[in-house]
Amino acid sequence: MDRIPILKMGDLLLVTIQVDMHDRLAMTLQDDLTDRIVTARARGVLIDISGLEMVDSFIGRMLANIASMSRVLDAETVVVGMRPAVAITLVELGLTLNGVRTALNVDKGMELLNSLGGHQG
Amino acid sequence: MCSAVVPLSPPPATNALAAGRGVPARPLIGTLDSNRTQVVMETLLQRIVETGSAIAIIDITGVPTVDTMVAQHLMKTVAAARLMGTECMISGIRPQIAQTMVHLGVALGDVTTKATLAGAFATALHKMRLAITDVKA
Repeated sequence: MDRIPILKMGDLLLVTIQVDMHDRLAMTLQDDLTDRIVTARARGVLIDISGLEMVDSFIGRMLANIASMSRVLDAETVVVGMRPAVAITLVELGLTLNGVRTALNVDKGMELLNSLGGHQG
Repeated sequence: MCSAVVPLSPPPATNALAAGRGVPARPLIGTLDSNRTQVVMETLLQRIVETGSAIAIIDITGVPTVDTMVAQHLMKTVAAARLMGTECMISGIRPQIAQTMVHLGVALGDVTTKATLAGAFATALHKMRLAITDVKA
């Protein structure tokens, strides 16, 4: 079965979504990521969705859920690289992802995570 | 800094100009309708991607009237920009428009608003830890 790779970089986890998400893939990612945060003792999670062209309310909610779950596990989540069309769609769906931090690209996302105190680990 | 004259609709104005390093400013002149705000939203978001800007300013000094629909579109633009990782400010809200918005019950909530474009630009520079200094200094 397809899986979305989760890379470990120091005390950060890097998730790059390069295929269109379907519901099962999203659920698997949620499971895998929460497991990995615990086993890798990650301080931060960076989700790159620059390859994501389509979102629905489920995927939007999943992003918000992942962010909340990682916060419970003491890791900050930053979503980076959201396309304009995706951003407009999410806003139209009423999902403004208020608890989720965002950045324009991976570079700026890393900067943000480091400034949030990713050095404690 | 901001001298673009944007034609009144139609055709809809779609220029977003760069007011400074990493700060696209979007002057809006003329009556805003839903179609035009939609175009504004799309061009602004596109420019944010192209320029990699950390802060964007929507200046509505030239907008004579704002209705609930337009206000909602502005809020959506700000929310979409935030999702992409860019902070969006609204500047140049006229006193009458401020009154209308409050009467209409449109709360701008946590959106940064400034009375003038200059004010918004100064805030943007401050947030980016940049300053304009005298050359001689």
